[in-house]
Amino acid sequence: MDELYLDNIDEYVNDHNKIVTYKWLSLTLGVHVNTAKQMLFHYLDHKRKESSAQLHATYLVSGKFVNNGQTCHKVSVIREEQLEDVKAKMSLIASVHVYSIQKALLKDSGPLYGVDYDAVRDNLKNCSRFSAIRCSSAVPMSSQELQQVKEIQRPPTSEPETKKSVSNIQTAVASKAIKPQKGIMGMFSNKTASKTQNSTKEIKTEEKDSPMVEAPKSKPALKPNSLMSMFENQTAKKTDKTVKEEAPPAAKAAPAAKPAAVQSSTSTSQPQNKLSHKEEKEEATVAKPQKESKSKSKRIQDSDSEEEKMEKKKRRRIKKPEPDSSDEEVIPDSPQKKETKEPSPSPEKQLESVTHSHQENPDKRVRKRRRVLKSKTFVDEEGCIVTEKAYESESYSESEEDFKAPKQAARDPFKGKLHSNGKDEKKSRQKASANTNKSTKQASITGFFQKK
Amino acid sequence: MTTLTRQDINFGQVVADILCEFLEVAIHLILYVREVYPSGIFQKRKKYNVPVQMSCHPELNQYIQDTLHCVKPLIEKNDAEKVVVVIMDKEHHPVERFVFEISQPPLLSISSDILLSHVEQLLRAFILKISVCDAILNNNPPGCSFTVLVHTRDVATRNMEKVQVIKDFPWIVADEQEVNMQEPKLIPLKTMTSDIVKMQLYVEERAQKTQVY
Repeated sequence: MDELYLDNIDEYVNDHNKIVTYKWLSLTLGVHVNTAKQMLFHYLDHKRKESSAQLHATYLVSGKFVNNGQTCHKVSVIREEQLEDVKAKMSLIASVHVYSIQKALLKDSGPLYGVDYDAVRDNLKNCSRFSAIRCSSAVPMSSQELQQVKEIQRPPTSEPETKKSVSNIQTAVASKAIKPQKGIMGMFSNKTASKTQNSTKEIKTEEKDSPMVEAPKSKPALKPNSLMSMFENQTAKKTDKTVKEEAPPAAKAAPAAKPAAVQSSTSTSQPQNKLSHKEEKEEATVAKPQKESKSKSKRIQDSDSEEEKMEKKKRRRIKKPEPDSSDEEVIPDSPQKKETKEPSPSPEKQLESVTHSHQENPDKRVRKRRRVLKSKTFVDEEGCIVTEKAYESESYSESEEDFKAPKQAARDPFKGKLHSNGKDEKKSRQKASANTNKSTKQASITGFFQKK
Repeated sequence: MTTLTRQDINFGQVVADILCEFLEVAIHLILYVREVYPSGIFQKRKKYNVPVQMSCHPELNQYIQDTLHCVKPLIEKNDAEKVVVVIMDKEHHPVERFVFEISQPPLLSISSDILLSHVEQLLRAFILKISVCDAILNNNPPGCSFTVLVHTRDVATRNMEKVQVIKDFPWIVADEQEVNMQEPKLIPLKTMTSDIVKMQLYVEERAQKTQVY
């Protein structure tokens, strides 16, 4: 490897004051991601030896982590200072590499996403050409198949999807739609799919949305959609792992503005589509070259770790193992559940968190109750303005994913839901009863217990 | 593809809307990055498909919104030359000024599709630049506050004084002390040129921030 790249990186970091992530570097220089990672490492090494300008680096650490007796696969992006610390906590380290190098000390991880966003967007058709994850069986659907799927999608919005064949395609569609569980969103498995689709359409700011800005926003997202087609997903099984966004394009599924068709199907899919971690290849259920706007990865609805560990700049994915896992910080008092439930994120700075039961039949649309973290602002006795985030019970169905950014005032929690499937009524009722009194901040211990 | 021309009543409003939205996000981000307010009041939101930090505090938000609400008519008529976010220390001497220079081309017809996504991309770049600006700026002293100044072309200010755009939210002529900074160092951050607006962002930083007057 010739040494020119050191100068290149130097120019980007010092002269342009850019944040150089390995993914951006790989797309810019046209090299494999592993090469890019090595380049960054050498550069950092080189600079540290010279002890010249102040540089900050972030690392990606992934491996097995034992959490309350549960072993999970954790992937985090951390600051350099915390590297040794985090490495020590892991029981088995699968990979450690430099994630990014920049001059500024980043206060939060937002810009890391922004950097990759444009780079990937420019290379949308072949953003995975330098990636390390491959799945030979994942091929784009032909346009005929795509048509078929779309047609099937449209009518079933009013009928329960119980047909295996239909569900098969749907899960395929959905899994692809499931976008790569990027970071935080990974926790939300089911919800994420549709959520991501919608949230990218929404501009979550406090002010009114400019209609003009919104229109073009969906357009670039639509473009990939037309280019990328649905994939056949043979392995639409529920994998345990969720991978963070740096999991390559294989994981990256749906473009933001999926057609409504896809949206309905996503509900049926599970968290599965797991994007295997880079090192793990094969798991990828969808190896889509397409990379839609990585809006999926960083969602405003930052669930868990993003927010809770914001100081530490960690992004954490907790694997849903065979038994249930619970997010340690979010629900301190809720241990095992009979069904694997998506752990809900820490209440601290979350806008919204969703807990829902693990679906056994992917094809059903189920009406469930979920606890949503809502943010309420009010003036307390002393005249202080308090913003409280509290869990509230909310009725939802798998297929709906219409999330709007919570505004200061509590927003209307109930979205009209079309149909509820009788299958899991019992479960949802049980959950509903368990969740009825969730207006307190503290999640009650019974909240997560299902009737066994 | 719709084509908008300057003459269209919508054009000016569209540009003003876009710019005001952007300025709101930028101001929040500046407050976050420069630690004017504790980071606890900020939450992650999404704008232009990237995460940004916006504050939750209702009064702060209201203040910023009112400010921009008043600035909007100026931008619509292309009267605003610069919008400056000034960060001041405890004695109200400016330590940093984030200057957004805005200019709009006089006569232009645009096709909205690709243009706006292009503009979005450029604005995203601005946001990214603001996020990393603390690499090139010195730290601010504690206890800073901020204010927003607008430099306008002549006539506009007189009109503004006559007509209060928002009740109880008056604009006053800024004093010398707030406008001019001692020993400023100029650091350009980003420039963008597009069909609908040209914008430049630079930071003027006082050489010695903890200087005692």
